[in-house]
Formats: sequence, C-alpha cells, structure tokens
Amino acid sequence: MTPPLGLAPDRAREKRRTRFRTGSAVAAFVLCAALVAGMALFILREIDQLSRANSDNVQWSLSQADVEFARFQLAIAQADGETGDLSRIRRRFNIFYSRISTLDRGMVYQDVRDDPEFTQHLENVTAFLDRAVDVIDAPDAELTQALPRLGAEASTVLADVRSMSLAGLFGFAEASDARRAGLVGTLAALAVVLGLIFGGLILFAYLLSRLHRLAESRADDVVNASERTRMIVGAAPDAIVVTNRAGAILDFNPEAEALFGCPAREAIGAEVVSNLFPEESRSDLISGPLSCLRSNDIPGAMARHFETVAVDRNGRRFAAELSVAAEPNGTRLVLFLRDISDRKEAETNLTIARDRALAGERAKAEFLAIMSHEMRTPLNGLLGSMQLLRDHSLNERQTDLLDRMEGSGRLLLGLVDDVLDLSKFEAGKMEATRQNFRVSGVLDGVVETAAPLAEANGNTLSWHWLGQQHDAAVGDARRLRQVLLNLVGNAIKFTKGGEVEIEVECLPDGESLEFRVTDTGIGIKEEDLSRIFNDFETLDSTYARQAGGTGLGLGIAKRLTSLMGGEIGAESEFGDGSLFWLRIPIAAAGPVSVQPLFEFNQLVAPRRKLDLLLVEDNEMNRFVARQMLEADGHRVVEAVDGQAGVEWANNRAFDAILMDISMPVMDGIEATRRIRAGSGPSADCPIIAVTAHALPEEVEEFSAAGMTTTVSKPLDRAALLSVLAVITEGATPLSAPSHSGSPDTRLDGHQLSTLLAGLPSGERDEILARFLVETDETIQSIVSDDLPRDALQAQVHACAGNCGTFGASGLRAALAEIETMLKRGEDIAPERLAALAPLWQETRMQISDLSRD
Amino acid sequence: MRFPRFQTSLAAVALAALAPGAFAAGLGDPASEVVLTVTGEIATTNRDDAAVFDLDMLTSMDTVTYETETIWTDGVQTFTGVLLSDLMDRLGAEGSSLSAMAINDYAVEIPSSDWVETGPIIAYHQNGAPMSVRDKGPLWIIYPYDDNDAYQSEVIYSRSIWQLDRIKVLE
Repeated sequence: MTPPLGLAPDRAREKRRTRFRTGSAVAAFVLCAALVAGMALFILREIDQLSRANSDNVQWSLSQADVEFARFQLAIAQADGETGDLSRIRRRFNIFYSRISTLDRGMVYQDVRDDPEFTQHLENVTAFLDRAVDVIDAPDAELTQALPRLGAEASTVLADVRSMSLAGLFGFAEASDARRAGLVGTLAALAVVLGLIFGGLILFAYLLSRLHRLAESRADDVVNASERTRMIVGAAPDAIVVTNRAGAILDFNPEAEALFGCPAREAIGAEVVSNLFPEESRSDLISGPLSCLRSNDIPGAMARHFETVAVDRNGRRFAAELSVAAEPNGTRLVLFLRDISDRKEAETNLTIARDRALAGERAKAEFLAIMSHEMRTPLNGLLGSMQLLRDHSLNERQTDLLDRMEGSGRLLLGLVDDVLDLSKFEAGKMEATRQNFRVSGVLDGVVETAAPLAEANGNTLSWHWLGQQHDAAVGDARRLRQVLLNLVGNAIKFTKGGEVEIEVECLPDGESLEFRVTDTGIGIKEEDLSRIFNDFETLDSTYARQAGGTGLGLGIAKRLTSLMGGEIGAESEFGDGSLFWLRIPIAAAGPVSVQPLFEFNQLVAPRRKLDLLLVEDNEMNRFVARQMLEADGHRVVEAVDGQAGVEWANNRAFDAILMDISMPVMDGIEATRRIRAGSGPSADCPIIAVTAHALPEEVEEFSAAGMTTTVSKPLDRAALLSVLAVITEGATPLSAPSHSGSPDTRLDGHQLSTLLAGLPSGERDEILARFLVETDETIQSIVSDDLPRDALQAQVHACAGNCGTFGASGLRAALAEIETMLKRGEDIAPERLAALAPLWQETRMQISDLSRD
Repeated sequence: MRFPRFQTSLAAVALAALAPGAFAAGLGDPASEVVLTVTGEIATTNRDDAAVFDLDMLTSMDTVTYETETIWTDGVQTFTGVLLSDLMDRLGAEGSSLSAMAINDYAVEIPSSDWVETGPIIAYHQNGAPMSVRDKGPLWIIYPYDDNDAYQSEVIYSRSIWQLDRIKVLE
C-alpha cells in the first residue's frame, strides 16, 4: 500500500544518516583490513627472516678458537721429539687455522668483523698464522728445531686470540641485543595494530548494532504505516478498490462492500471492470481512466473525478465518480468510487429550476412588451382623436380640456416608452441626460398632471419648498418627472379623501435635492417596506386589489433614481399614511437658462410644402399615406417598389423619401443603399423608414444602410408630420420615434376612425369597400387554396398590411404570426389558417358597424 | 644414476658410468690414507666392524654437486661430494640417526630423516679442488641451503660439520 503521508522529509534524513553510518562502517572495516593486511605482510617478512637463521652458534665458534689455540700450544709444549708429536702439532695448527680463516671470511661473522677492536686482534692472529705456516709446512727437522720459537711466539699471540674472542663475543652480544630490541619493537607494533583492530572491531560492532536498531525501527514504521493505511482505507467515505495490473481485485474496503453489496472475500480476485461496471460503461473506462489495464503502458497522470455508471451486485445502476491512482511502478491501481446519484439528481433539479427561472424571465419580458403595446395602441387612438378634434371649432373651456387630455396622453405615452426601455436598463445602455431645468416647472407639471386623478379620489394635491428655495437644477428632468409622477400616482391611488403633499428641500451639501411625497392613505406594513421597490412587487390583499397595475412602477422609479445618481426610500405607519423620499444630486451651482419641457399644445408640422417620394408596395398603404400628406398640402410621388424608388430618386430632387422596408423586387434597405451610393439629385435627401417591425437592432440596420430615421406603421399623421418637420427643418421632436403596436383586439376602432377621418368623404367609402372585398378574397384564398409557401407568405404579408391600416388588429396579429412562422420555415397547421375566416367575419361586421356611424 | 632435481644441481657430474664394478660385492680396501671411518649399525664393512674410506673410494661413488652460499664462506661456492643417503644405502645403514664427528672432536647427530636424495652430501671438493684441513677439509657435510629455505636454520648449520672424519650410525 501507499506509504504514510507526511514522512518524506524524515525519511530523507534517515536515509542520509543510514548512508553515513554504512559508509563509516565500511571505512572502519577497510581500515581494519588494511591494518591486518599490512601487519600480516610485516609479520610474514619477520617470520621469513627468523625462519632463516643466518648465524651459527657464533659464541661457540669464538670460544672454540680459544680452545683450539690452547690445544695447539699444548701440542707444542708436549712435543718430545717423536714424529707423532709433529703430526699432532700440524693437525692442531690446521684446525686453528681453519677456525681463524672461517672467522676472517665467513659471512656470519661480518657483524663481528665490523668491530675494529676484533679486527685488530684478528689481524694480529692472522699475521702469526702466516708467519707460522711456513714453519709448520717445513720438514720435520726444521719444525722440531723451530718448536721452541713457535711456542714462544704462540704465547705472545695468546693474548690477541683471547682479546679477539672476547671482543667478538661482546660485539655479538650487542648485535643480539639489537636484534632482540628489533623484535620487541615489532611485537609492540603488532600490539598497537592489534589494539587498533580491536577498536575498529568494537566500532564496527557498534555501528552494526545501530544499523540493526534502525532496521527494527524501520520495520516498525512500515508496520505502523500499513496499519494506518488500513485504518484510512477502512474509514474512508469512498469505496476504495485496489487491483493489480491485470485488473484483479486485491483489496475491497468496507465502503466498497456497502456500495456494491458484495463482501470483500468474494470481491477479491474478481476482475474489476466486468464486475463493478455495466456493459455500457466499460469501453469508456478502458479507453479512459483504466486504459493501463489493457495495455502495457505504465500508468501516468491518473484520472480524477471521472463520471461513469457503476452497477452493484443486485444490478442497481448508479452514477459514480471514479478517481484512479497508481503506485509509482504501476504494479497496482487504486480506484476511489463514490455514488453521486444524489448529486446528479440535485443537479438535474437545479437545471430544471434554472430553466424555469429563465422561462419566467422571458415571460416577464414578453409581458412587458405586450403591456406596452396594449397601452400604446389605445393611447395613439386617443391622441389621434384629439388632433382631429382640434380641427373643429372649440370654445375656450373645450380647448383647455383638450390640452389637459393631450398632455396626460403624451405623458402616458412617455411612461409606456420608458417601460419599454426597461430592457435597456438591464443592458446598461440607458443614460441620464443633463439639461438645465427648473424644479418648480417639473413639480407644477406633476401636480397639474396628477390633479384630475387626485380630484377623482377626493384628495388634495400640492407642493411646496421647505427651507431655502433652489429652483435651478441640472439633470434629467424627464426621468425626475417620471419618478415623481409615479410616487404621486401611488400616493393618490392609496389615499381616499386625504392629502397628498410634495415637499422639496435643498440638502445642506448644496448639491442634492430631497423630494418627499407624503400621503394620509392606508400606509404600508413594516415588513412590506423592503419589498416595494422590487420589480413586479404587488403587496397582497387589499393593497394589491386597490392598486392594480403591473407592480413595475417603484422598480422603475428605483432604477431611474440610481441612474440619476440618487437614492429612493420609503417610511410608513400602517393605517396612517406613507412617506416616499427621493434624494438626487441635481441642484445647480448657479442660475440656469431653461427650455420649456414639452410643448403640449403645439403640433409640429413642416411650415413649407414638401416634395415627397413615397416608396410603398401596398396600394392601400400608399393611398392612406398619400391622403394624409396631401391633406397637409404636400406633393407626393409614388413608387411601387424599391427599384422604382431608386429610379425616381436618381432623376428628381425630393425633400424627403418615405421608404417601406419589406417590398418585392427590391426591399427598402437595398433601395436606400443604392440611392445613397448613386449621384442622383436625391442621393443626400432624408430617407424615413416606414416599418411595423422597429426592433432596436433593425433600426441600427436601417441607420447603417443610410436611413435618417424611422416611423412606425400604422402611420400616425401627427407623428409623420412631426418627423418631416424635424428632418427637413430641424424642429424639436415631440417624442422618440414611436414603436409599432400589435394589438390583438379584433378591431382598433380609433385607428379606423383616424384613417377614415383623414380621407376626403368621397374616397372613404370606396377605399373601405375595396379593402373589404380584397380581404374577403385574400382570406378565402389563404384558407381554401393550397398555396405554395412563398405565395402564401406574399398573400399573408399584403393582407396583414391592409389590416393594420384599417385597424383590424386581431386579424393582423394572427396573420403576422403566420408570416413569422413562414419566415422561420415552420409548419403551418391547417386549423390555424382555417381560424382566419371566422376572425375576419367578426372583424368585418365590426368595421361595417363602425363605418355606418 | 640420479640427478638432483634442483637447479643448482644441473652441474652434477656423472661419474658412475666410469666406476669399476668392484664395489658391487664389497667396499674394497683403502689404498691411501683413510679419511672417513663409519661404524655402528651398518651391514657392509671392510675393516673389522667398520667401513673405512680413502678419498678415491669416495670419489668413485655417484657424485652430486651443489652450488650454494654458506654462512661460513664468502660468495657462491660449488661443492661436490657423495649423497649421505647414498652412502648410508651403500653401507646398509639401519639406524634412526647418525653421529658425525670432526677431527677436533666436534660431534653432532644427523637424524635419518635428513638422509634424502635432496639432502646433505659429504663434500670432498670445494670449487673443483680437494679441501685441506685448513680449508675445513678433507670432508664437509653440505646441505643445499639456497635451494631449500628449511635448511637455513641453526640446527642445520650445526649439522653442517666440517673436517669430518668419523660417522657412527646409531640404533
């Protein structure tokens, strides 16, 4: 099994120490061996030397010289003239001669001969012998005669012989001593070496014992480590399975037993992949984390958190997370397995919850769009009707009422547009403008706007300064007004027969203004105060029922406030009323020049008569637009598609071009590009996109193609004239280009009324009749004929355009939906087409009723 | 005829081929001065209970030559003589040792274990010449000291008796 964790540094130190010890032991051993070898060599040489005696019994030889000389003298002294005596003298002489010549020449006496005293005496003796030898070798008579002299001479040499042997003996004794001393030295050296060897052996034994102890402690460590590992494996929350390289299970911990429902004794020896994993998991495992089981590769970096499916003994399949580790030499694999089916389920639930939340978000966005469209359409109708009403003769009171109505209507339209801008908030694209304005102007407008509603609820509504007045402000007046209107509107809604008051105060920092809207209404519960600024937050029970609405108001107010760099909050006593405050850093440093905010009572229209090119494929739309423009005195040239439009523009100078987008032959975008790219007299004239699909990204595309601005279909006369005024004369626009509406009420009566009212009475019946007949035919064709898709799409598109013009909103919406599906290539169910017929019949009846009035 | 196995013995001179066959039956009688008298446990005698030899009788026997240094001389010497073992064989000696005696009555025992073919000789020539009494002659027991380190011992040196004139074979 794996070694215990966290011991690596200790082990390294241990290893070094062991290596050092082993090295010391080896060094001690080598030293001992060298000493022993050296000593052995030395002793062997000594033995060799001692074994070869290079000395005879020297003392004996030396003293024998004495003895033999004495015998020689005795032989001379005993001679009495007989022949035998002479022969004995000669033999004694020869023996002595032989002895002396040995002493004189023998190697063994070299040491003795080095003694000068000995040599001196030896030379004296030799000289005597040399002298005597002639006499000895002479005939018997001469020898006999010479004997007395020889004896006398011998007596004189006796002292030399004696001294010589004594000197030799003494010298030899000294040499002997020296040799003994040498032997003692050798023995002493031997003793020292033996001592060293003994010491070395003790050291060696000590080191061996240390090594032995170390080995024992290592063995203990290994046992402990494996115990620990066993404990860890046993207590691990994961299933741990150990296998060999062939995949045979070697170890199976209790968690694995529990997970796979198989006792370890039965699991051990079994093949891991085929026993713990179902068929479908195996190939992934073999090609993935367990690839080393089927190849000879040494396992390298091992897989972690590999997700697979495992199977237990009862066949239960479960999602498992597998991590694999290998021993460094790759002989064993350790598999860590964990049942992650709970986690997987939780993940799935989370995904579902997230999808639901996203769907909710989408629903919210759709809701917003629908709401705003819903509101825009009737508003447009109201505003259009008011414009028409101004053409009639009105008394002062009526004009005043009409002004109020129109002011409120436009404010409402602005609010709707703001709600539509909510998406811009989310994308972070909305920015607050910075304009000079007067605080009192804004507050007057708010009070004026909200006054009718306050009156209806029996409330009084007023505003006043608190403290020093600070009328000059720099900021986004429109946003401020929107926020205040929202707060005031809420206060009025929740107050019956009470007071709604706006207080404004310049804060001590001189930069911020604080607006406080107080009411004496029902108030808000403490616990609800924190929620009211959330999107779509409507408090339950009576509050919600009384309030109605979308619940977006305060959410938008909060966003607008922070957009302007301010804060918003509320305080309330349930039952006694509420206070909403708004702090915004808009106080201007000095006096400011102020432009009027909105010219509610003035319609903007071009002051001169314009030459206009109308590019529109739908005859009905062409007719309506032409009528609207000519009614205001402008000249209109019609082109039936983009191609015709380009030709007109290249040949004649216009003041402006109205360009439909979706047209056969050549669409509006392409036509615009060509007009701009050409060098005709109208290449630089303003081009106004006329479209029902003014999505922001599309507007960008129009702009990129060279279009100046956009107006929505169905055409609003005031808006159209206003846009023309802006682009031809630089007038200030009333509001942003309006958005298209797609109402799904069956009939937009106001749209129809506006259209019919804008037409000369002679044309009115004819065009209406044509519309009814054409639509009858087209619906008939769409529902009954099995049209090819492209033909069907053309019919649907044309018919939807007509319906839009004549306010047949329900049918138009249904047709637009079908058109969208056709564009996307989706299948159209026959029932969907069939449903158009009854819808048209209903709408047709309503149109007939209306036009009869 | 036999050759010593030692390098220093390669100079051995073979005289046996020239030797008269007279000794086959007996030792013969010495014609000149007796230089060696052997007594004791011997089977062959030529005078009373002893075997006596003059120099010619010895030189007529198989000869062996050793080249060796000795501690009593200076430099390498060439010694020629009769192997002690040959002589003992010739005399049918049965003893365990022999006692060798010199003219000056020096005496030493030589055990029969020394009577071997590579062992001592009774030398009568030193450097090709007969040895006088003054030169430790006429007979000198010489071991091949240089050939065999075992012969470089004081015991062997004491057995290397010079001026040899008598041998008594002991039981």
